Amino acid sequence: MSYYDLDAILTDAEKVPCKFEIEVPDLGYLDNNPSHPLKAHTPVSLPLWLAELLAIANRSANSQDSSPFLTLSMPQTLSSEVTSALKADPRAVPLRDQSHNFYALATRMMEIFEDLDMCAVLRRTFVTRAGETALHARKAGASDDYKVAGGEDFMRGLEAWERALFLRAHDGAKDSKVWMEGVKK
Amino acid sequence: MYGDLGNKLVHHAKRAQNLAYLPPYQTELVRAVTREVRDLDKDLASILESFQGSFEPHADEAKSCTMLVNHLSMRRNKRCLLAYHRTRTDKLEELVWKGEDVVDLPGQQVSGNQGAADAGSSSLSPQEEDYVRQYSDLLAAYKGQWTDIDLTGSLEPPRDLFIDVRVLKDAGEIQTEYGAITLTKNSQFFVRQGDVERLIAQGYLQKLG
Repeated sequence: MSYYDLDAILTDAEKVPCKFEIEVPDLGYLDNNPSHPLKAHTPVSLPLWLAELLAIANRSANSQDSSPFLTLSMPQTLSSEVTSALKADPRAVPLRDQSHNFYALATRMMEIFEDLDMCAVLRRTFVTRAGETALHARKAGASDDYKVAGGEDFMRGLEAWERALFLRAHDGAKDSKVWMEGVKK
Repeated sequence: MYGDLGNKLVHHAKRAQNLAYLPPYQTELVRAVTREVRDLDKDLASILESFQGSFEPHADEAKSCTMLVNHLSMRRNKRCLLAYHRTRTDKLEELVWKGEDVVDLPGQQVSGNQGAADAGSSSLSPQEEDYVRQYSDLLAAYKGQWTDIDLTGSLEPPRDLFIDVRVLKDAGEIQTEYGAITLTKNSQFFVRQGDVERLIAQGYLQKLG
Protein backbone atom coordinates (compact mmCIF):
# COMPACT_ATOMS: atom_id res chain seq x y z
CA MET A 1 0.00 0.00 0.00
CA SER A 2 1.64 3.17 -1.20
CA TYR A 3 1.20 6.65 0.19
CA TYR A 4 0.08 7.81 -3.24
CA ASP A 5 -2.25 4.89 -3.90
CA LEU A 6 -5.62 6.36 -4.81
CA ASP A 7 -7.52 3.25 -3.82
CA ALA A 8 -5.89 3.23 -0.40
CA ILE A 9 -6.86 6.87 0.05
CA LEU A 10 -10.44 6.17 -0.93
CA THR A 11 -10.55 3.18 1.42
CA ASP A 12 -9.40 5.44 4.23
CA ALA A 13 -12.39 7.66 3.54
CA GLU A 14 -14.84 4.88 4.45
CA LYS A 15 -16.87 5.78 7.50
CA VAL A 16 -16.76 3.71 10.63
CA PRO A 17 -19.05 4.05 13.63
CA CYS A 18 -17.35 5.21 16.81
CA LYS A 19 -18.05 6.76 20.19
CA PHE A 20 -16.14 9.55 21.88
CA GLU A 21 -15.05 8.75 25.42
CA ILE A 22 -14.71 12.35 26.54
CA GLU A 23 -16.55 15.59 25.96
CA VAL A 24 -14.86 17.85 23.44
CA PRO A 25 -16.22 21.41 23.18
CA ASP A 26 -14.79 22.29 19.75
CA LEU A 27 -15.66 19.18 17.80
CA GLY A 28 -19.41 19.56 17.58
CA TYR A 29 -19.15 19.72 13.78
CA LEU A 30 -18.28 16.04 13.71
CA ASP A 31 -21.87 15.40 14.78
CA ASN A 32 -23.29 18.03 12.39
CA ASN A 33 -23.82 20.36 15.30
CA PRO A 34 -21.05 22.98 15.22
CA SER A 35 -22.46 25.27 17.89
CA HIS A 36 -22.73 22.61 20.58
CA PRO A 37 -20.00 20.62 22.29
CA LEU A 38 -19.55 17.01 21.33
CA LYS A 39 -20.81 15.08 24.34
CA ALA A 40 -19.13 11.95 25.60
CA HIS A 41 -20.61 8.70 24.28
CA THR A 42 -22.26 10.34 21.29
CA PRO A 43 -22.30 7.87 18.42
CA VAL A 44 -20.66 9.47 15.38
CA SER A 45 -19.58 8.17 12.04
CA LEU A 46 -16.01 9.15 11.16
CA PRO A 47 -13.76 8.37 8.23
CA LEU A 48 -11.14 5.75 8.93
CA TRP A 49 -8.18 8.13 8.53
CA LEU A 50 -9.47 10.16 11.45
CA ALA A 51 -10.94 7.45 13.64
CA GLU A 52 -8.03 5.03 13.56
CA LEU A 53 -5.44 7.29 15.14
CA LEU A 54 -7.92 8.72 17.62
CA ALA A 55 -8.66 5.19 18.73
CA ILE A 56 -4.96 4.40 19.09
CA ALA A 57 -3.74 7.62 20.70
CA ASN A 58 -3.39 7.42 24.45
CA ARG A 59 -4.77 10.37 26.35
CA SER A 60 -3.72 9.40 29.84
CA ALA A 61 -0.38 10.46 31.28
CA ASN A 62 0.22 6.95 32.51
CA SER A 63 1.43 4.91 29.56
CA GLN A 64 0.45 1.65 31.26
CA ASP A 65 -3.32 1.82 30.94
CA SER A 66 -4.79 2.60 27.55
CA SER A 67 -7.58 5.12 27.36
CA PRO A 68 -8.09 6.36 23.81
CA PHE A 69 -10.20 9.34 22.79
CA LEU A 70 -12.81 7.16 21.17
CA THR A 71 -13.77 3.55 20.69
CA LEU A 72 -14.21 2.04 17.28
CA SER A 73 -16.72 -0.55 16.27
CA MET A 74 -17.09 -2.67 13.16
CA PRO A 75 -18.63 -0.84 10.22
CA GLN A 76 -21.98 -1.96 8.85
CA THR A 77 -20.11 -3.43 5.90
CA LEU A 78 -18.64 -6.12 8.13
CA SER A 79 -21.62 -6.59 10.43
CA SER A 80 -22.72 -10.02 11.59
CA GLU A 81 -25.53 -10.08 9.01
CA VAL A 82 -23.04 -9.68 6.21
CA THR A 83 -20.62 -12.24 7.58
CA SER A 84 -23.34 -14.83 8.10
CA ALA A 85 -24.55 -14.22 4.56
CA LEU A 86 -20.98 -14.70 3.36
CA LYS A 87 -20.72 -17.88 5.38
CA ALA A 88 -23.84 -19.23 3.71
CA ASP A 89 -22.81 -18.48 0.13
CA PRO A 90 -20.07 -15.99 -0.78
CA ARG A 91 -21.29 -15.78 -4.35
CA ALA A 92 -24.75 -14.59 -3.41
CA VAL A 93 -23.62 -11.37 -1.71
CA PRO A 94 -23.14 -8.28 -3.90
CA LEU A 95 -20.02 -6.95 -2.19
CA ARG A 96 -20.14 -3.75 -4.20
CA ASP A 97 -23.31 -2.73 -2.38
CA GLN A 98 -21.47 -3.06 0.92
CA SER A 99 -18.44 -1.06 -0.11
CA HIS A 100 -16.59 -0.31 -3.33
CA ASN A 101 -13.34 -1.30 -1.66
CA PHE A 102 -14.71 -4.15 0.39
CA TYR A 103 -11.55 -6.21 0.79
CA ALA A 104 -9.31 -3.21 1.30
CA LEU A 105 -11.60 -1.98 4.07
CA ALA A 106 -11.83 -5.46 5.57
CA THR A 107 -8.03 -5.73 5.60
CA ARG A 108 -7.75 -2.39 7.40
CA MET A 109 -10.33 -3.44 9.97
CA MET A 110 -8.58 -6.76 10.51
CA GLU A 111 -5.39 -4.85 11.27
CA ILE A 112 -7.22 -3.07 14.04
CA PHE A 113 -9.44 -5.81 15.44
CA GLU A 114 -7.70 -9.14 14.84
CA ASP A 115 -10.88 -11.13 14.50
CA LEU A 116 -9.65 -14.56 13.42
CA ASP A 117 -13.10 -16.00 12.70
CA MET A 118 -14.03 -13.15 10.43
CA CYS A 119 -10.62 -13.39 8.80
CA ALA A 120 -11.32 -17.01 7.88
CA VAL A 121 -14.72 -16.11 6.47
CA LEU A 122 -13.21 -13.32 4.37
CA ARG A 123 -10.46 -15.55 3.04
CA ARG A 124 -12.93 -18.22 2.02
CA THR A 125 -15.11 -15.53 0.43
CA PHE A 126 -12.25 -14.23 -1.66
CA VAL A 127 -11.11 -17.65 -2.86
CA THR A 128 -14.61 -18.74 -3.82
CA ARG A 129 -15.46 -15.50 -5.54
CA ALA A 130 -12.10 -15.19 -7.29
CA GLY A 131 -12.60 -18.60 -8.89
CA GLU A 132 -16.05 -17.62 -10.06
CA THR A 133 -14.76 -14.26 -11.33
CA ALA A 134 -11.94 -15.86 -13.30
CA LEU A 135 -14.34 -18.34 -14.84
CA HIS A 136 -16.65 -15.59 -16.06
CA ALA A 137 -13.70 -13.51 -17.23
CA ARG A 138 -12.21 -16.31 -19.30
CA LYS A 139 -15.54 -17.04 -20.89
CA ALA A 140 -16.05 -13.37 -21.68
CA GLY A 141 -12.49 -12.94 -22.98
CA ALA A 142 -12.76 -15.89 -25.33
CA SER A 143 -15.95 -14.58 -26.87
CA ASP A 144 -14.77 -10.95 -27.37
CA ASP A 145 -17.56 -9.73 -25.20
CA TYR A 146 -17.79 -8.18 -21.76
CA LYS A 147 -21.30 -9.52 -21.31
CA VAL A 148 -21.44 -12.74 -19.36
CA ALA A 149 -24.22 -15.15 -20.05
CA GLY A 150 -26.03 -15.91 -16.80
CA GLY A 151 -23.58 -14.03 -14.57
CA GLU A 152 -24.83 -10.45 -14.79
CA ASP A 153 -26.03 -10.31 -11.22
CA PHE A 154 -22.78 -11.68 -9.92
CA MET A 155 -20.74 -9.30 -12.07
CA ARG A 156 -22.62 -6.27 -10.82
CA GLY A 157 -21.73 -7.25 -7.26
CA LEU A 158 -17.98 -7.27 -7.80
CA GLU A 159 -16.01 -4.78 -5.73
CA ALA A 160 -12.98 -2.82 -6.95
CA TRP A 161 -10.34 -5.48 -6.42
CA GLU A 162 -12.46 -8.19 -8.03
CA ARG A 163 -13.14 -5.89 -10.95
CA ALA A 164 -9.43 -5.47 -11.52
CA LEU A 165 -9.07 -9.24 -11.34
CA PHE A 166 -11.85 -9.70 -13.86
CA LEU A 167 -10.29 -7.21 -16.24
CA ARG A 168 -6.88 -8.88 -16.08
CA ALA A 169 -8.28 -12.36 -16.62
CA HIS A 170 -10.46 -11.07 -19.44
CA ASP A 171 -7.60 -9.30 -21.20
CA GLY A 172 -5.33 -12.29 -20.68
CA ALA A 173 -7.78 -14.67 -22.31
CA LYS A 174 -8.35 -12.22 -25.12
CA ASP A 175 -4.67 -11.57 -25.77
CA SER A 176 -3.81 -15.26 -25.86
CA LYS A 177 -6.63 -15.77 -28.33
CA VAL A 178 -5.29 -12.98 -30.56
CA TRP A 179 -1.81 -14.44 -30.31
CA MET A 180 -2.99 -17.91 -31.26
CA GLU A 181 -4.67 -16.50 -34.34
CA GLY A 182 -1.52 -14.61 -35.26
CA VAL A 183 0.60 -17.75 -35.06
CA LYS A 184 -1.39 -19.49 -37.78
CA LYS A 185 -0.49 -16.88 -40.38
CA MET B 1 -16.47 18.18 7.23
CA TYR B 2 -12.73 18.61 6.88
CA GLY B 3 -11.19 16.33 4.29
CA ASP B 4 -14.29 16.08 2.11
CA LEU B 5 -12.84 18.38 -0.54
CA GLY B 6 -9.65 16.37 -0.63
CA ASN B 7 -11.73 13.29 -1.19
CA LYS B 8 -13.35 14.92 -4.18
CA LEU B 9 -9.91 15.63 -5.56
CA VAL B 10 -8.90 12.00 -5.23
CA HIS B 11 -12.08 10.95 -7.00
CA HIS B 12 -11.09 13.26 -9.86
CA ALA B 13 -7.64 11.68 -9.97
CA LYS B 14 -9.16 8.21 -9.93
CA ARG B 15 -11.31 9.06 -12.91
CA ALA B 16 -8.35 10.61 -14.75
CA GLN B 17 -6.35 7.42 -14.32
CA ASN B 18 -8.61 5.56 -16.70
CA LEU B 19 -8.88 8.26 -19.34
CA ALA B 20 -6.80 8.53 -22.47
CA TYR B 21 -6.45 12.29 -22.11
CA LEU B 22 -5.83 14.58 -19.19
CA PRO B 23 -8.92 16.31 -17.79
CA PRO B 24 -8.67 20.00 -16.87
CA TYR B 25 -6.75 20.91 -13.74
CA GLN B 26 -9.04 21.45 -10.74
CA THR B 27 -7.71 24.87 -9.82
CA GLU B 28 -10.68 25.77 -7.63
CA LEU B 29 -10.66 22.53 -5.69
CA VAL B 30 -6.93 22.58 -5.09
CA ARG B 31 -7.18 26.14 -3.87
CA ALA B 32 -10.07 25.24 -1.56
CA VAL B 33 -8.13 22.35 -0.03
CA THR B 34 -5.05 24.47 0.58
CA ARG B 35 -7.24 27.13 2.11
CA GLU B 36 -8.66 24.49 4.43
CA VAL B 37 -5.18 23.48 5.48
CA ARG B 38 -4.27 27.10 6.14
CA ASP B 39 -7.39 27.59 8.28
CA LEU B 40 -6.64 24.47 10.27
CA ASP B 41 -3.10 25.62 10.81
CA LYS B 42 -4.35 28.99 12.03
CA ASP B 43 -6.72 27.26 14.48
CA LEU B 44 -3.92 25.10 15.74
CA ALA B 45 -1.60 28.07 16.19
CA SER B 46 -4.22 29.99 18.16
CA ILE B 47 -4.86 27.03 20.48
CA LEU B 48 -1.17 26.57 21.07
CA GLU B 49 -0.72 30.26 21.69
CA SER B 50 -3.09 30.14 24.65
CA PHE B 51 -0.71 27.72 26.34
CA GLN B 52 2.27 29.98 25.78
CA GLY B 53 4.73 27.25 25.10
CA SER B 54 4.01 25.14 28.17
CA PHE B 55 1.62 22.63 26.67
CA GLU B 56 1.02 19.43 28.61
CA PRO B 57 -0.98 17.02 26.39
CA HIS B 58 -2.48 15.04 29.25
CA ALA B 59 -3.59 18.05 31.25
CA ASP B 60 -6.31 19.17 28.86
CA GLU B 61 -7.76 16.20 27.04
CA ALA B 62 -10.40 18.06 25.08
CA LYS B 63 -7.88 20.53 23.70
CA SER B 64 -5.37 17.88 22.75
CA CYS B 65 -8.13 15.89 21.07
CA THR B 66 -9.15 18.92 19.04
CA MET B 67 -5.56 19.48 18.06
CA LEU B 68 -5.10 15.87 17.04
CA VAL B 69 -8.20 16.05 14.86
CA ASN B 70 -6.91 19.26 13.28
CA HIS B 71 -3.54 17.76 12.65
CA LEU B 72 -4.95 14.58 11.15
CA SER B 73 -7.19 16.60 8.86
CA MET B 74 -4.20 18.56 7.60
CA ARG B 75 -2.24 15.39 7.02
CA ARG B 76 -5.14 13.90 5.16
CA ASN B 77 -5.46 16.96 2.94
CA LYS B 78 -1.77 16.86 2.21
CA ARG B 79 -1.98 13.25 1.15
CA CYS B 80 -4.95 13.96 -1.12
CA LEU B 81 -3.18 16.91 -2.74
CA LEU B 82 0.04 15.00 -3.29
CA ALA B 83 -1.74 11.98 -4.70
CA TYR B 84 -3.78 14.15 -7.06
CA HIS B 85 -0.73 15.91 -8.44
CA ARG B 86 1.31 12.77 -8.68
CA THR B 87 -1.37 11.03 -10.70
CA ARG B 88 -1.31 13.94 -13.09
CA THR B 89 2.44 14.17 -13.41
CA ASP B 90 2.63 10.41 -14.01
CA LYS B 91 0.14 10.88 -16.81
CA LEU B 92 2.07 13.84 -18.21
CA GLU B 93 5.34 11.91 -18.22
CA GLU B 94 3.62 9.10 -20.05
CA LEU B 95 2.38 11.54 -22.66
CA VAL B 96 5.83 13.06 -23.08
CA TRP B 97 7.35 9.62 -23.60
CA LYS B 98 4.72 8.89 -26.22
CA GLY B 99 5.86 12.02 -28.00
CA GLU B 100 2.49 13.68 -27.91
CA ASP B 101 2.30 17.41 -28.06
CA VAL B 102 1.09 17.89 -24.50
CA VAL B 103 0.78 21.65 -24.45
CA ASP B 104 -1.29 21.45 -27.62
CA LEU B 105 -3.55 18.80 -26.11
CA PRO B 106 -6.66 20.76 -25.14
CA GLY B 107 -7.43 21.42 -28.77
CA GLN B 108 -8.02 17.73 -29.31
CA GLN B 109 -9.86 17.29 -26.08
CA VAL B 110 -12.65 19.72 -26.65
CA SER B 111 -14.30 17.33 -29.07
CA GLY B 112 -14.04 14.61 -26.44
CA ASN B 113 -15.72 16.40 -23.56
CA GLN B 114 -17.89 19.15 -24.90
CA GLY B 115 -18.42 22.14 -22.67
CA ALA B 116 -16.32 20.79 -19.83
CA ALA B 117 -13.21 22.61 -20.92
CA ASP B 118 -13.24 26.05 -22.43
CA ALA B 119 -11.75 25.89 -25.87
CA GLY B 120 -8.40 27.59 -25.98
CA SER B 121 -7.59 27.35 -22.29
CA SER B 122 -5.12 24.66 -21.41
CA SER B 123 -6.09 21.76 -19.18
CA LEU B 124 -2.73 22.04 -17.45
CA SER B 125 -1.89 24.37 -14.64
CA PRO B 126 0.98 26.78 -15.35
CA GLN B 127 3.21 24.72 -13.05
CA GLU B 128 2.33 21.58 -14.96
CA GLU B 129 3.16 23.23 -18.25
CA ASP B 130 6.50 24.14 -16.80
CA TYR B 131 6.98 20.60 -15.60
CA VAL B 132 6.20 19.18 -19.03
CA ARG B 133 8.61 21.56 -20.70
CA GLN B 134 11.45 20.72 -18.36
CA TYR B 135 10.69 17.02 -18.47
CA SER B 136 10.76 17.12 -22.28
CA ASP B 137 14.14 18.83 -22.10
CA LEU B 138 15.42 16.13 -19.77
CA LEU B 139 14.12 13.41 -22.03
CA ALA B 140 15.67 15.06 -25.08
CA ALA B 141 19.02 15.31 -23.29
CA TYR B 142 18.77 11.67 -22.29
CA LYS B 143 17.91 10.59 -25.81
CA GLY B 144 20.70 12.73 -27.20
CA GLN B 145 23.30 10.35 -25.79
CA TRP B 146 22.25 7.61 -28.19
CA THR B 147 21.47 9.23 -31.48
CA ASP B 148 21.34 5.89 -33.31
CA ILE B 149 18.39 4.62 -31.35
CA ASP B 150 15.03 6.28 -31.02
CA LEU B 151 14.18 5.51 -27.40
CA THR B 152 10.65 6.76 -27.74
CA GLY B 153 10.03 4.86 -30.96
CA SER B 154 7.39 2.20 -31.26
CA LEU B 155 8.26 -1.23 -29.91
CA GLU B 156 6.17 -2.92 -32.57
CA PRO B 157 8.18 -3.90 -35.62
CA PRO B 158 6.57 -2.42 -38.75
CA ARG B 159 4.91 -4.81 -41.17
CA ASP B 160 5.60 -2.66 -44.22
CA LEU B 161 8.27 -0.11 -44.94
CA PHE B 162 5.86 2.14 -46.76
CA ILE B 163 2.46 3.19 -45.55
CA ASP B 164 -0.47 5.30 -46.69
CA VAL B 165 -1.10 8.38 -44.63
CA ARG B 166 -3.67 11.11 -44.67
CA VAL B 167 -2.80 14.62 -43.55
CA LEU B 168 -5.05 15.92 -40.76
CA LYS B 169 -3.32 19.25 -40.18
CA ASP B 170 -1.03 21.33 -42.39
CA ALA B 171 2.50 20.43 -41.47
CA GLY B 172 4.50 22.21 -44.11
CA GLU B 173 7.27 20.66 -46.15
CA ILE B 174 9.31 17.69 -44.95
CA GLN B 175 12.49 16.26 -46.40
CA THR B 176 12.65 12.55 -47.16
CA GLU B 177 15.12 10.29 -48.94
CA TYR B 178 13.04 10.62 -52.08
CA GLY B 179 12.83 14.37 -52.07
CA ALA B 180 10.62 16.91 -50.37
CA ILE B 181 6.89 16.52 -49.93
CA THR B 182 4.47 19.20 -48.88
CA LEU B 183 1.90 18.06 -46.37
CA THR B 184 -1.32 19.94 -46.98
CA LYS B 185 -4.52 19.14 -45.18
CA ASN B 186 -6.69 16.30 -46.54
CA SER B 187 -4.09 15.08 -49.01
CA GLN B 188 -2.89 11.50 -49.06
CA PHE B 189 0.66 10.10 -49.44
CA PHE B 190 2.49 6.83 -49.77
CA VAL B 191 5.61 7.37 -47.69
CA ARG B 192 8.25 5.57 -45.71
CA GLN B 193 7.03 4.86 -42.20
CA GLY B 194 10.28 5.96 -40.58
CA ASP B 195 9.99 9.42 -42.08
CA VAL B 196 6.58 10.20 -40.67
CA GLU B 197 6.38 8.28 -37.39
CA ARG B 198 6.89 11.43 -35.35
CA LEU B 199 4.19 13.28 -37.23
CA ILE B 200 1.71 10.46 -36.68
CA ALA B 201 2.41 10.49 -32.95
CA GLN B 202 1.90 14.24 -32.86
CA GLY B 203 -1.43 13.92 -34.60
CA TYR B 204 -0.55 15.64 -37.88
CA LEU B 205 -0.98 12.50 -39.95
CA GLN B 206 -3.27 9.56 -39.78
CA LYS B 207 -2.18 6.10 -40.80
CA LEU B 208 -4.51 4.43 -43.25
CA GLY B 209 -5.45 0.77 -43.49
